[in-house]
Amino acid sequence: MPTPPKGPRLGGSAAHERLMLANLSAQLFENKSITTTLTKAKRLRPHAERLITFAKRGDLASRRRVQAVIASRSRTNKSIVHELFENIAPVMAERQGGYTRITKIGNRKGDNAPMAVIELVMEPVSPKQAVVKEAEKAAAVAAPVEEVAPTEATETAEVAETEATETVEVAETEAAEENKA
Amino acid sequence: MAVPKRKMSRSNTRARRAQWKATAPTLVKTMENGRVTYSLPHQAKVVTDSAGTELFLEYKGRKVADA
Repeated sequence: MPTPPKGPRLGGSAAHERLMLANLSAQLFENKSITTTLTKAKRLRPHAERLITFAKRGDLASRRRVQAVIASRSRTNKSIVHELFENIAPVMAERQGGYTRITKIGNRKGDNAPMAVIELVMEPVSPKQAVVKEAEKAAAVAAPVEEVAPTEATETAEVAETEATETVEVAETEAAEENKA
Repeated sequence: MAVPKRKMSRSNTRARRAQWKATAPTLVKTMENGRVTYSLPHQAKVVTDSAGTELFLEYKGRKVADA
């Protein structure tokens, strides 16, 4: 869990901040994407992601904990809790954190406040990054071992991105140089 | 309450305002469809059609919000 921020609360008091964060996260779960100030978006991110973690756990105790935050006063918000547990949590099941995305959209007309869009990352987890990481790891393992490794590395490189291929090529040239010496 | 004793002269007002300066924003240079474009870093851009009507905000090839 991230450390609580120092300095002034959003809206002036701790109670006001708590209410604002609860309302913002409820709206985020209802609409999947909200436009707010950058400061609020940054404060909202850990708060909302923690609620999603509870939702992924999915048992009655965690549902009541989320309800205590989002729907403690308004009974209509219970449908949002339902939405979070039934629709959002399954989408996030494969994702290990990073459930929200903040994009800056420039300053607001009127008070020049920096604005941002915070949205739920509903896309499926792309396997690309995992493959690249795996290929890089394979290349790193292949570099010290001389003979067997390059063939293995090239096999993985076919699947992987060009970036990984470059590292493999470097590893291969290094291995070749070592063979010459 | 403390109040100014004298009216501030036009000259003094203008001398103060002459110190207001605008600073150029730092931009990033990118190639888009073979054309060089300058944009603010880490910020969504407005996508316009050929007539110049604002369509939506885009960041890294992803639609962010309506304009």
